[in-house]
Amino acid sequence: MQNKQSIEVVNEDAIRRTLTRMTYEIIERNKGIEKLVLAGIQTRGAVLARRIARRITELEGVSVEVVDLDTRPYRDDSDGEFTLEPAEAAKINTVDQKRVVIVDDVLYTGRTIRAALDALTDQGRPEKIILAVLIDRGNRELPIRADVVGKNLPTSQEERIQVCLSETDGKECVNIVK
Amino acid sequence: MNKRILVLENGEVFKGRGFGSTKETIGEVVFNTGMTGYQESITDQSYNGQLLTFTYPLIGNAGINRDDHESIFPTTRAVIVKEYARRPSNWRSQMNLDEFLKEKDIPGLAGVDTRKLTRIIREYGAMKAILTDAHKNIPDLLKQLKEVRLPSNQVAQVSTTTPYVSPQKGRRVIVVDYGLKHSILHELNKRDCHVTVLPHDTQAETILNLKPDGVMLTNGPGDPKDLPEAHDMIRQIQPHIPIFGICLGHQLIALANGADTFKMAFGHRGFNHPVREIATGRIDFTSQNHGYAVDELSLNKENLRVTHVEINDGTVEGLRHRRYPVFSVQYHPDAAPGPHDGAELFDQFVESMDAWKENRNNA
Repeated sequence: MQNKQSIEVVNEDAIRRTLTRMTYEIIERNKGIEKLVLAGIQTRGAVLARRIARRITELEGVSVEVVDLDTRPYRDDSDGEFTLEPAEAAKINTVDQKRVVIVDDVLYTGRTIRAALDALTDQGRPEKIILAVLIDRGNRELPIRADVVGKNLPTSQEERIQVCLSETDGKECVNIVK
Repeated sequence: MNKRILVLENGEVFKGRGFGSTKETIGEVVFNTGMTGYQESITDQSYNGQLLTFTYPLIGNAGINRDDHESIFPTTRAVIVKEYARRPSNWRSQMNLDEFLKEKDIPGLAGVDTRKLTRIIREYGAMKAILTDAHKNIPDLLKQLKEVRLPSNQVAQVSTTTPYVSPQKGRRVIVVDYGLKHSILHELNKRDCHVTVLPHDTQAETILNLKPDGVMLTNGPGDPKDLPEAHDMIRQIQPHIPIFGICLGHQLIALANGADTFKMAFGHRGFNHPVREIATGRIDFTSQNHGYAVDELSLNKENLRVTHVEINDGTVEGLRHRRYPVFSVQYHPDAAPGPHDGAELFDQFVESMDAWKENRNNA
Protein backbone atom coordinates (compact mmCIF):
# COMPACT_ATOMS: atom_id res chain seq x y z
CA MET A 1 0.00 0.00 0.00
CA GLN A 2 1.23 3.41 -0.91
CA ASN A 3 1.80 5.95 1.76
CA LYS A 4 -0.92 8.55 1.57
CA GLN A 5 -0.07 12.13 2.18
CA SER A 6 -2.54 14.23 4.08
CA ILE A 7 -2.27 18.00 4.26
CA GLU A 8 -4.46 20.08 6.54
CA VAL A 9 -5.76 23.04 4.55
CA VAL A 10 -8.48 24.37 6.85
CA ASN A 11 -8.16 24.31 10.62
CA GLU A 12 -10.71 24.38 13.41
CA ASP A 13 -10.78 28.18 13.75
CA ALA A 14 -11.22 28.65 10.03
CA ILE A 15 -14.13 26.20 9.93
CA ARG A 16 -15.89 28.10 12.71
CA ARG A 17 -15.24 31.45 11.05
CA THR A 18 -16.32 30.21 7.65
CA LEU A 19 -19.58 28.76 8.97
CA THR A 20 -20.34 32.07 10.66
CA ARG A 21 -19.77 33.95 7.44
CA MET A 22 -21.89 31.42 5.50
CA THR A 23 -24.67 31.92 8.08
CA TYR A 24 -24.66 35.67 7.46
CA GLU A 25 -24.66 35.12 3.71
CA ILE A 26 -27.59 32.70 3.92
CA ILE A 27 -29.63 35.20 5.95
CA GLU A 28 -28.65 38.05 3.64
CA ARG A 29 -29.52 36.06 0.51
CA ASN A 30 -32.93 35.22 1.90
CA LYS A 31 -33.50 38.75 3.15
CA GLY A 32 -34.44 37.25 6.51
CA ILE A 33 -35.24 33.79 7.78
CA GLU A 34 -38.92 33.56 6.96
CA LYS A 35 -39.91 30.27 5.37
CA LEU A 36 -36.30 29.07 5.66
CA VAL A 37 -35.58 25.35 5.87
CA LEU A 38 -32.06 23.98 6.17
CA ALA A 39 -31.69 20.60 4.49
CA GLY A 40 -28.40 18.97 5.46
CA ILE A 41 -27.17 16.10 3.34
CA GLN A 42 -26.18 13.19 5.57
CA THR A 43 -23.81 12.83 7.28
CA ARG A 44 -21.62 15.88 7.53
CA GLY A 45 -23.93 18.21 5.67
CA ALA A 46 -26.53 17.49 8.34
CA VAL A 47 -24.02 18.37 11.05
CA LEU A 48 -23.16 21.62 9.30
CA ALA A 49 -26.84 22.46 8.80
CA ARG A 50 -27.44 22.09 12.53
CA ARG A 51 -24.47 24.33 13.33
CA ILE A 52 -25.70 26.99 10.94
CA ALA A 53 -29.18 26.70 12.45
CA ARG A 54 -27.72 27.27 15.93
CA ARG A 55 -26.02 30.46 14.73
CA ILE A 56 -29.21 31.70 13.12
CA THR A 57 -31.06 31.12 16.39
CA GLU A 58 -28.42 33.10 18.29
CA LEU A 59 -28.54 35.96 15.80
CA GLU A 60 -32.25 36.18 15.09
CA GLY A 61 -33.72 34.74 18.27
CA VAL A 62 -35.90 32.41 16.22
CA SER A 63 -35.22 28.77 15.43
CA VAL A 64 -35.28 27.52 11.87
CA GLU A 65 -36.39 24.14 10.63
CA VAL A 66 -33.59 21.65 9.98
CA VAL A 67 -34.07 18.39 8.15
CA ASP A 68 -31.68 15.58 7.27
CA LEU A 69 -31.60 14.69 3.63
CA ASP A 70 -30.72 11.15 2.61
CA THR A 71 -29.92 11.18 -1.08
CA ARG A 72 -29.07 7.50 -1.49
CA PRO A 73 -32.37 6.41 -3.08
CA TYR A 74 -31.98 9.09 -5.71
CA ARG A 75 -28.36 8.54 -6.63
CA ASP A 76 -27.54 7.64 -10.22
CA ASP A 77 -24.66 5.40 -9.14
CA SER A 78 -26.38 3.27 -6.50
CA ASP A 79 -26.74 -0.46 -6.95
CA GLY A 80 -30.46 -0.47 -6.35
CA GLU A 81 -30.38 -1.72 -2.75
CA PHE A 82 -32.18 1.14 -1.11
CA THR A 83 -32.51 1.11 2.60
CA LEU A 84 -35.55 3.36 2.62
CA GLU A 85 -38.39 4.46 0.48
CA PRO A 86 -37.81 7.62 -1.55
CA ALA A 87 -40.59 9.42 0.26
CA GLU A 88 -38.75 9.03 3.55
CA ALA A 89 -35.58 10.58 2.23
CA ALA A 90 -36.40 14.02 3.48
CA LYS A 91 -38.59 14.12 6.52
CA ILE A 92 -40.07 17.49 5.76
CA ASN A 93 -43.73 18.04 6.42
CA THR A 94 -43.91 20.01 3.27
CA VAL A 95 -41.39 21.91 1.24
CA ASP A 96 -44.14 23.69 -0.61
CA GLN A 97 -43.58 27.44 -0.60
CA LYS A 98 -40.46 27.05 1.54
CA ARG A 99 -37.03 28.48 0.87
CA VAL A 100 -34.75 25.50 1.16
CA VAL A 101 -31.02 25.71 1.73
CA ILE A 102 -29.24 22.51 0.83
CA VAL A 103 -26.16 22.21 3.04
CA ASP A 104 -23.27 19.88 2.29
CA ASP A 105 -19.63 19.61 3.23
CA VAL A 106 -17.98 19.15 -0.18
CA LEU A 107 -19.23 20.04 -3.64
CA TYR A 108 -17.48 17.93 -6.26
CA THR A 109 -19.17 16.34 -9.29
CA GLY A 110 -22.57 17.78 -8.43
CA ARG A 111 -24.24 14.37 -8.52
CA THR A 112 -25.16 14.36 -4.84
CA ILE A 113 -26.78 17.75 -5.23
CA ARG A 114 -28.75 16.56 -8.24
CA ALA A 115 -30.03 13.68 -6.14
CA ALA A 116 -30.86 16.10 -3.32
CA LEU A 117 -32.82 18.27 -5.72
CA ASP A 118 -34.80 15.22 -6.79
CA ALA A 119 -35.43 14.25 -3.19
CA LEU A 120 -36.70 17.74 -2.43
CA THR A 121 -38.87 18.20 -5.47
CA ASP A 122 -40.47 14.81 -4.83
CA GLN A 123 -41.89 16.37 -1.67
CA GLY A 124 -43.42 19.39 -3.28
CA ARG A 125 -42.55 22.66 -4.91
CA PRO A 126 -40.20 24.84 -2.88
CA GLU A 127 -40.36 28.54 -3.53
CA LYS A 128 -36.62 28.56 -3.89
CA ILE A 129 -33.67 26.25 -3.38
CA ILE A 130 -30.14 27.46 -2.77
CA LEU A 131 -26.96 25.52 -2.16
CA ALA A 132 -24.44 26.16 0.60
CA VAL A 133 -21.24 24.13 0.80
CA LEU A 134 -18.24 24.31 3.08
CA ILE A 135 -15.77 23.31 0.37
CA ASP A 136 -16.08 23.67 -3.39
CA ARG A 137 -13.39 21.49 -4.94
CA GLY A 138 -14.33 21.95 -8.59
CA ASN A 139 -14.44 19.14 -11.21
CA ARG A 140 -18.16 19.33 -11.81
CA GLU A 141 -19.87 16.75 -14.02
CA LEU A 142 -23.25 18.47 -13.97
CA PRO A 143 -24.31 22.10 -14.48
CA ILE A 144 -24.61 22.84 -10.76
CA ARG A 145 -23.06 25.62 -8.72
CA ALA A 146 -23.16 26.69 -5.08
CA ASP A 147 -24.70 29.98 -3.93
CA VAL A 148 -22.80 30.17 -0.65
CA VAL A 149 -19.28 28.79 -0.60
CA GLY A 150 -17.09 28.48 2.48
CA LYS A 151 -13.85 27.91 0.68
CA ASN A 152 -12.81 27.18 -2.88
CA LEU A 153 -10.20 24.46 -3.01
CA PRO A 154 -9.28 23.67 -6.60
CA THR A 155 -8.16 20.04 -6.65
CA SER A 156 -7.30 17.33 -9.13
CA GLN A 157 -9.39 14.18 -9.43
CA GLU A 158 -6.58 12.11 -7.93
CA GLU A 159 -6.84 14.05 -4.68
CA ARG A 160 -9.44 13.50 -2.03
CA ILE A 161 -10.94 16.06 0.33
CA GLN A 162 -11.47 14.86 3.85
CA VAL A 163 -13.73 16.93 6.07
CA CYS A 164 -13.53 16.05 9.75
CA LEU A 165 -16.11 17.45 12.16
CA SER A 166 -16.11 16.89 15.89
CA GLU A 167 -19.60 15.32 15.93
CA THR A 168 -18.67 12.63 13.43
CA ASP A 169 -14.87 12.39 13.50
CA GLY A 170 -13.83 13.75 16.86
CA LYS A 171 -11.76 16.54 15.33
CA GLU A 172 -12.19 19.64 13.22
CA CYS A 173 -10.21 20.03 10.02
CA VAL A 174 -10.25 19.77 6.25
CA ASN A 175 -7.46 17.74 4.68
CA ILE A 176 -6.33 17.11 1.13
CA VAL A 177 -5.28 13.50 0.81
CA LYS A 178 -3.07 12.45 -2.07
CA MET B 1 13.85 66.08 39.67
CA ASN B 2 11.53 68.91 38.76
CA LYS B 3 8.32 69.03 40.72
CA ARG B 4 5.23 69.10 38.56
CA ILE B 5 1.50 68.92 39.07
CA LEU B 6 -1.50 67.51 37.29
CA VAL B 7 -4.64 69.60 37.78
CA LEU B 8 -7.98 68.09 36.84
CA GLU B 9 -10.99 70.05 35.71
CA ASN B 10 -12.86 69.10 38.88
CA GLY B 11 -10.17 70.75 41.03
CA GLU B 12 -8.30 67.62 42.02
CA VAL B 13 -4.50 68.11 42.11
CA PHE B 14 -1.83 65.41 41.85
CA LYS B 15 1.78 66.20 42.69
CA GLY B 16 4.57 64.30 41.08
CA ARG B 17 7.99 64.41 39.46
CA GLY B 18 8.35 65.34 35.86
CA PHE B 19 10.26 63.29 33.32
CA GLY B 20 10.45 63.29 29.54
CA SER B 21 9.74 66.65 27.99
CA THR B 22 9.39 69.63 30.32
CA LYS B 23 6.68 71.46 28.40
CA GLU B 24 3.24 72.32 29.74
CA THR B 25 0.37 70.39 28.27
CA ILE B 26 -3.43 70.25 28.29
CA GLY B 27 -5.64 67.41 27.19
CA GLU B 28 -8.21 64.84 28.16
CA VAL B 29 -6.95 62.55 30.90
CA VAL B 30 -7.70 58.86 30.28
CA PHE B 31 -6.47 55.62 31.79
CA ASN B 32 -5.21 52.37 30.34
CA THR B 33 -5.45 49.18 32.37
CA GLY B 34 -2.90 47.15 30.41
CA MET B 35 -0.02 45.61 32.33
CA THR B 36 2.29 45.63 29.32
CA GLY B 37 2.55 47.27 25.95
CA TYR B 38 3.24 50.81 27.09
CA GLN B 39 5.36 51.47 24.03
CA GLU B 40 2.58 50.49 21.63
CA SER B 41 0.05 52.48 23.64
CA ILE B 42 2.13 55.66 23.80
CA THR B 43 2.70 55.51 20.05
CA ASP B 44 -0.96 54.65 19.27
CA GLN B 45 -2.45 57.65 17.46
CA SER B 46 -5.83 56.96 19.02
CA TYR B 47 -4.37 58.63 22.13
CA ASN B 48 -3.90 61.86 20.22
CA GLY B 49 -4.53 64.84 22.49
CA GLN B 50 -4.88 62.69 25.60
CA LEU B 51 -2.95 62.47 28.84
CA LEU B 52 -2.40 58.75 29.13
CA THR B 53 -2.44 57.26 32.62
CA PHE B 54 -1.20 53.73 33.25
CA THR B 55 -2.86 51.94 36.14
CA TYR B 56 -0.09 49.36 36.23
CA PRO B 57 2.38 50.71 38.83
CA LEU B 58 5.71 50.21 37.05
CA ILE B 59 6.08 51.35 33.47
CA GLY B 60 9.14 51.25 31.26
CA ASN B 61 10.97 48.25 32.66
CA ALA B 62 11.53 46.73 29.22
CA GLY B 63 12.66 50.07 27.81
CA ILE B 64 11.81 51.20 24.32
CA ASN B 65 12.75 49.02 21.36
CA ARG B 66 12.76 49.70 17.64
CA ASP B 67 10.18 47.04 16.76
CA ASP B 68 7.09 48.01 18.68
CA HIS B 69 6.38 51.54 17.50
CA GLU B 70 2.84 51.97 16.21
CA SER B 71 3.56 55.36 14.64
CA ILE B 72 6.63 57.42 13.81
CA PHE B 73 5.45 60.65 15.39
CA PRO B 74 3.30 59.80 18.40
CA THR B 75 0.91 62.54 19.50
CA THR B 76 -0.06 61.35 22.96
CA ARG B 77 -0.05 64.51 25.08
CA ALA B 78 1.46 63.11 28.26
CA VAL B 79 2.30 59.90 30.08
CA ILE B 80 1.30 59.55 33.73
CA VAL B 81 2.73 56.72 35.79
CA LYS B 82 3.23 55.62 39.35
CA GLU B 83 6.86 54.83 38.76
CA TYR B 84 8.97 54.66 35.62
CA ALA B 85 11.99 52.45 35.19
CA ARG B 86 15.15 54.48 34.76
CA ARG B 87 17.23 51.43 33.94
CA PRO B 88 15.32 49.08 31.65
CA SER B 89 16.28 45.47 31.31
CA ASN B 90 15.47 43.78 28.04
CA TRP B 91 17.62 42.53 25.20
CA ARG B 92 15.67 44.59 22.68
CA SER B 93 15.78 47.82 24.65
CA GLN B 94 17.34 50.78 22.86
CA MET B 95 16.63 53.51 25.40
CA ASN B 96 14.65 54.15 28.53
CA LEU B 97 11.20 55.69 28.68
CA ASP B 98 12.52 59.06 29.87
CA GLU B 99 14.88 59.39 26.91
CA PHE B 100 12.16 58.36 24.51
CA LEU B 101 9.64 60.89 25.81
CA LYS B 102 12.31 63.62 25.68
CA GLU B 103 13.05 62.73 22.07
CA LYS B 104 9.34 62.79 21.14
CA ASP B 105 8.71 65.91 23.25
CA ILE B 106 6.05 64.23 25.36
CA PRO B 107 5.94 65.23 29.03
CA GLY B 108 5.75 62.53 31.70
CA LEU B 109 4.63 62.62 35.31
CA ALA B 110 5.77 60.05 37.86
CA GLY B 111 4.96 59.50 41.50
CA VAL B 112 1.22 59.80 40.97
CA ASP B 113 -1.20 57.37 42.58
CA THR B 114 -2.56 56.38 39.21
CA ARG B 115 -5.15 54.04 40.67
CA LYS B 116 -6.67 56.85 42.70
CA LEU B 117 -6.64 58.99 39.57
CA THR B 118 -8.39 56.17 37.74
CA ARG B 119 -11.09 55.93 40.40
CA ILE B 120 -11.71 59.64 40.02
CA ILE B 121 -12.01 59.32 36.23
CA ARG B 122 -14.33 56.35 36.65
CA GLU B 123 -16.53 58.41 38.95
CA TYR B 124 -16.53 61.77 37.17
CA GLY B 125 -15.83 60.63 33.61
CA ALA B 126 -12.90 61.52 31.38
CA MET B 127 -12.08 65.20 31.81
CA LYS B 128 -9.66 67.90 30.83
CA ALA B 129 -6.44 68.23 32.77
CA ILE B 130 -3.28 70.27 32.70
CA LEU B 131 0.23 69.04 33.43
CA THR B 132 2.56 71.86 34.44
CA ASP B 133 5.22 73.09 36.88
CA ALA B 134 4.35 72.87 40.57
CA HIS B 135 4.85 76.54 41.41
CA LYS B 136 1.91 77.75 39.31
CA ASN B 137 -1.24 79.17 40.85
CA ILE B 138 -3.94 76.51 40.91
CA PRO B 139 -7.05 78.77 40.61
CA ASP B 140 -5.49 80.34 37.51
CA LEU B 141 -4.84 76.92 36.06
CA LEU B 142 -8.41 75.84 36.70
CA LYS B 143 -9.69 78.96 34.98
CA GLN B 144 -7.40 78.23 32.02
CA LEU B 145 -8.67 74.65 31.92
CA LYS B 146 -12.31 75.75 31.87
CA GLU B 147 -11.68 78.09 28.98
CA VAL B 148 -9.62 75.83 26.77
CA ARG B 149 -11.39 74.04 23.97
CA LEU B 150 -9.80 70.80 22.86
CA PRO B 151 -9.28 70.52 19.10
CA SER B 152 -11.79 68.56 17.03
CA ASN B 153 -9.54 68.03 14.00
CA GLN B 154 -7.62 65.22 15.65
CA VAL B 155 -7.83 62.84 12.71
CA ALA B 156 -6.41 65.50 10.39
CA GLN B 157 -3.50 65.90 12.81
CA VAL B 158 -2.51 62.24 12.71
CA SER B 159 -3.57 61.00 9.27
CA THR B 160 -1.04 60.82 6.48
CA THR B 161 -1.30 63.69 4.02
CA THR B 162 0.13 61.78 1.07
CA PRO B 163 -0.74 58.27 -0.11
CA TYR B 164 1.87 55.53 0.18
CA VAL B 165 2.04 51.80 -0.33
CA SER B 166 3.10 48.94 1.86
CA PRO B 167 3.88 46.47 -0.91
CA GLN B 168 3.24 42.78 -0.90
CA LYS B 169 2.16 40.33 -3.57
CA GLY B 170 -1.53 39.52 -3.57
CA ARG B 171 -4.84 41.21 -2.92
CA ARG B 172 -5.15 44.96 -3.37
CA VAL B 173 -6.31 46.52 -0.16
CA ILE B 174 -6.89 50.18 0.54
CA VAL B 175 -6.37 51.41 4.06
CA VAL B 176 -7.96 54.75 4.86
CA ASP B 177 -5.73 56.28 7.53
CA TYR B 178 -7.59 57.89 10.42
CA GLY B 179 -4.58 57.36 12.69
CA LEU B 180 -3.43 53.89 11.80
CA LYS B 181 -1.23 51.62 13.83
CA HIS B 182 1.67 50.02 11.99
CA SER B 183 0.54 46.64 13.20
CA ILE B 184 -2.50 46.91 10.91
CA LEU B 185 -0.21 47.14 7.89
CA HIS B 186 1.83 44.31 9.30
CA GLU B 187 -1.22 42.06 9.73
CA LEU B 188 -2.45 42.80 6.20
CA ASN B 189 0.96 42.33 4.59
CA LYS B 190 1.37 39.05 6.43
CA ARG B 191 -1.86 37.83 4.79
CA ASP B 192 -0.70 38.61 1.25
CA CYS B 193 -2.32 41.99 0.90
CA HIS B 194 -0.73 44.80 -1.07
CA VAL B 195 -1.72 47.83 0.94
CA THR B 196 -2.28 51.36 -0.33
CA VAL B 197 -2.65 53.86 2.49
CA LEU B 198 -4.75 56.91 1.67
CA PRO B 199 -5.38 60.11 3.66
CA HIS B 200 -8.50 60.42 5.81
CA ASP B 201 -10.25 62.83 3.43
CA THR B 202 -9.95 60.64 0.32
CA GLN B 203 -13.02 60.77 -1.92
CA ALA B 204 -15.08 57.68 -2.71
CA GLU B 205 -14.33 58.08 -6.40
CA THR B 206 -10.57 57.88 -5.83
CA ILE B 207 -11.00 54.67 -3.89
CA LEU B 208 -13.29 53.02 -6.43
CA ASN B 209 -11.02 54.03 -9.31
CA LEU B 210 -8.19 52.08 -7.74
CA LYS B 211 -10.37 48.95 -8.05
CA PRO B 212 -9.32 47.40 -4.75
CA ASP B 213 -10.36 43.98 -3.43
CA GLY B 214 -11.25 45.53 -0.10
CA VAL B 215 -11.10 48.67 1.98
CA MET B 216 -10.06 48.91 5.58
CA LEU B 217 -10.99 51.85 7.81
CA THR B 218 -8.54 52.24 10.66
CA ASN B 219 -8.63 53.26 14.27
CA GLY B 220 -8.13 56.89 15.15
CA PRO B 221 -8.66 59.58 17.74
CA GLY B 222 -11.57 61.82 18.54
CA ASP B 223 -15.27 62.04 17.84
CA PRO B 224 -16.50 60.16 14.74
CA LYS B 225 -19.07 62.91 14.17
CA ASP B 226 -16.27 65.33 13.34
CA LEU B 227 -15.80 63.50 10.02
CA PRO B 228 -19.01 63.93 7.98
CA GLU B 229 -17.10 63.57 4.67
CA ALA B 230 -16.03 60.09 5.76
CA HIS B 231 -19.67 59.09 6.28
CA ASP B 232 -20.47 60.13 2.71
CA MET B 233 -17.45 58.28 1.40
CA ILE B 234 -18.51 55.07 3.17
CA ARG B 235 -22.09 55.34 1.90
CA GLN B 236 -20.78 55.64 -1.64
CA ILE B 237 -18.33 52.74 -1.57
CA GLN B 238 -20.17 50.19 0.58
CA PRO B 239 -22.44 48.81 -2.16
CA HIS B 240 -19.40 48.07 -4.30
CA ILE B 241 -16.66 46.72 -2.11
CA PRO B 242 -15.96 44.70 1.07
CA ILE B 243 -15.15 47.00 3.99
CA PHE B 244 -13.59 46.18 7.33
CA GLY B 245 -13.62 48.87 10.00
CA ILE B 246 -11.96 48.91 13.38
CA CYS B 247 -12.41 51.34 16.26
CA LEU B 248 -13.04 54.75 14.71
CA GLY B 249 -13.68 53.02 11.37
CA HIS B 250 -16.39 50.97 13.09
CA GLN B 251 -18.05 54.11 14.45
CA LEU B 252 -17.88 55.77 11.04
CA ILE B 253 -19.61 52.78 9.42
CA ALA B 254 -22.36 53.02 12.05
CA LEU B 255 -22.84 56.75 11.46
CA ALA B 256 -22.80 56.30 7.69
CA ASN B 257 -25.69 53.85 8.06
CA GLY B 258 -27.91 56.02 10.17
CA ALA B 259 -26.86 54.93 13.66
CA ASP B 260 -25.72 57.26 16.41
CA THR B 261 -22.59 57.34 18.58
CA PHE B 262 -22.08 58.74 22.06
CA LYS B 263 -19.19 59.68 24.28
CA MET B 264 -18.68 57.15 27.02
CA ALA B 265 -18.05 58.21 30.61
CA PHE B 266 -14.55 56.81 30.70
CA GLY B 267 -14.20 54.56 27.69
CA HIS B 268 -12.52 51.20 27.25
CA ARG B 269 -8.76 51.27 27.31
CA GLY B 270 -6.90 48.10 28.08
CA PHE B 271 -6.47 44.52 26.99
CA ASN B 272 -8.84 42.60 29.19
CA HIS B 273 -12.20 43.44 27.68
CA PRO B 274 -14.24 40.28 27.11
CA VAL B 275 -16.31 40.37 23.93
CA ARG B 276 -18.91 37.83 22.89
CA GLU B 277 -19.49 36.88 19.29
CA ILE B 278 -23.26 36.51 19.17
CA ALA B 279 -23.46 33.91 16.40
CA THR B 280 -21.23 31.37 18.10
CA GLY B 281 -21.20 32.47 21.74
CA ARG B 282 -17.43 32.53 21.62
CA ILE B 283 -15.66 34.91 24.02
CA ASP B 284 -12.56 36.78 22.95
CA PHE B 285 -10.38 38.88 25.17
CA THR B 286 -9.69 42.02 23.27
CA SER B 287 -7.44 45.02 23.15
CA GLN B 288 -9.51 48.19 23.21
CA ASN B 289 -9.00 51.90 23.04
CA HIS B 290 -12.16 53.88 22.55
CA GLY B 291 -13.91 56.76 24.28
CA TYR B 292 -16.95 56.77 21.98
CA ALA B 293 -19.35 53.94 21.27
CA VAL B 294 -22.21 53.07 18.96
CA ASP B 295 -25.66 53.49 20.49
CA GLU B 296 -27.42 50.16 20.11
CA LEU B 297 -30.93 51.66 20.28
CA SER B 298 -30.17 53.99 17.40
CA LEU B 299 -29.19 51.18 15.04
CA ASN B 300 -31.27 50.92 11.94
CA LYS B 301 -32.07 47.23 12.06
CA GLU B 302 -32.73 47.22 8.32
CA ASN B 303 -29.12 48.11 7.68
CA LEU B 304 -26.93 46.89 10.47
CA ARG B 305 -26.76 43.88 12.71
CA VAL B 306 -24.88 43.70 16.02
CA THR B 307 -22.40 40.83 15.87
CA HIS B 308 -20.30 41.37 19.00
CA VAL B 309 -21.03 42.78 22.46
CA GLU B 310 -18.87 43.68 25.45
CA ILE B 311 -19.82 41.46 28.35
CA ASN B 312 -19.28 43.89 31.23
CA ASP B 313 -21.38 46.79 30.03
CA GLY B 314 -23.12 45.53 26.89
CA THR B 315 -21.44 48.01 24.54
CA VAL B 316 -21.81 47.28 20.82
CA GLU B 317 -18.42 45.87 19.79
CA GLY B 318 -19.12 44.54 16.32
CA LEU B 319 -21.43 45.31 13.40
CA ARG B 320 -22.25 43.82 10.07
CA HIS B 321 -24.22 45.28 7.21
CA ARG B 322 -27.30 43.32 6.22
CA ARG B 323 -26.91 43.75 2.48
CA TYR B 324 -23.31 44.64 1.77
CA PRO B 325 -20.06 42.84 2.64
CA VAL B 326 -19.28 45.36 5.35
CA PHE B 327 -18.29 44.46 8.90
CA SER B 328 -16.53 46.17 11.74
CA VAL B 329 -15.35 45.79 15.31
CA GLN B 330 -14.88 48.36 18.01
CA TYR B 331 -11.78 46.66 19.40
CA HIS B 332 -8.27 46.37 18.00
CA PRO B 333 -7.80 42.97 16.38
CA ASP B 334 -4.19 43.81 15.52
CA ALA B 335 -3.54 43.33 19.22
CA ALA B 336 -0.66 45.75 19.52
CA PRO B 337 -0.54 45.63 22.42
CA GLY B 338 -2.87 42.99 23.78
CA PRO B 339 -4.20 39.45 23.46
CA HIS B 340 -4.20 37.90 20.00
CA ASP B 341 -7.73 36.45 20.19
CA GLY B 342 -9.08 38.94 17.70
CA ALA B 343 -6.33 38.60 15.08
CA GLU B 344 -8.48 36.20 13.09
CA LEU B 345 -10.71 39.10 12.05
CA PHE B 346 -8.02 39.88 9.52
CA ASP B 347 -8.44 36.32 8.24
CA GLN B 348 -12.17 36.96 8.10
CA PHE B 349 -11.55 40.13 6.09
CA VAL B 350 -9.33 38.27 3.66
CA GLU B 351 -11.89 35.46 3.34
CA SER B 352 -14.73 37.85 2.68
CA MET B 353 -12.68 39.64 0.03
CA ASP B 354 -12.03 36.28 -1.65
CA ALA B 355 -15.65 35.18 -1.36
CA TRP B 356 -16.88 38.48 -2.72
CA LYS B 357 -14.51 38.27 -5.67
CA GLU B 358 -15.59 34.70 -6.37
CA ASN B 359 -19.29 35.65 -6.23
CA ARG B 360 -18.74 38.54 -8.57
CA ASN B 361 -16.91 36.33 -11.05
CA ASN B 362 -19.70 33.75 -10.97
CA ALA B 363 -22.53 36.22 -11.22
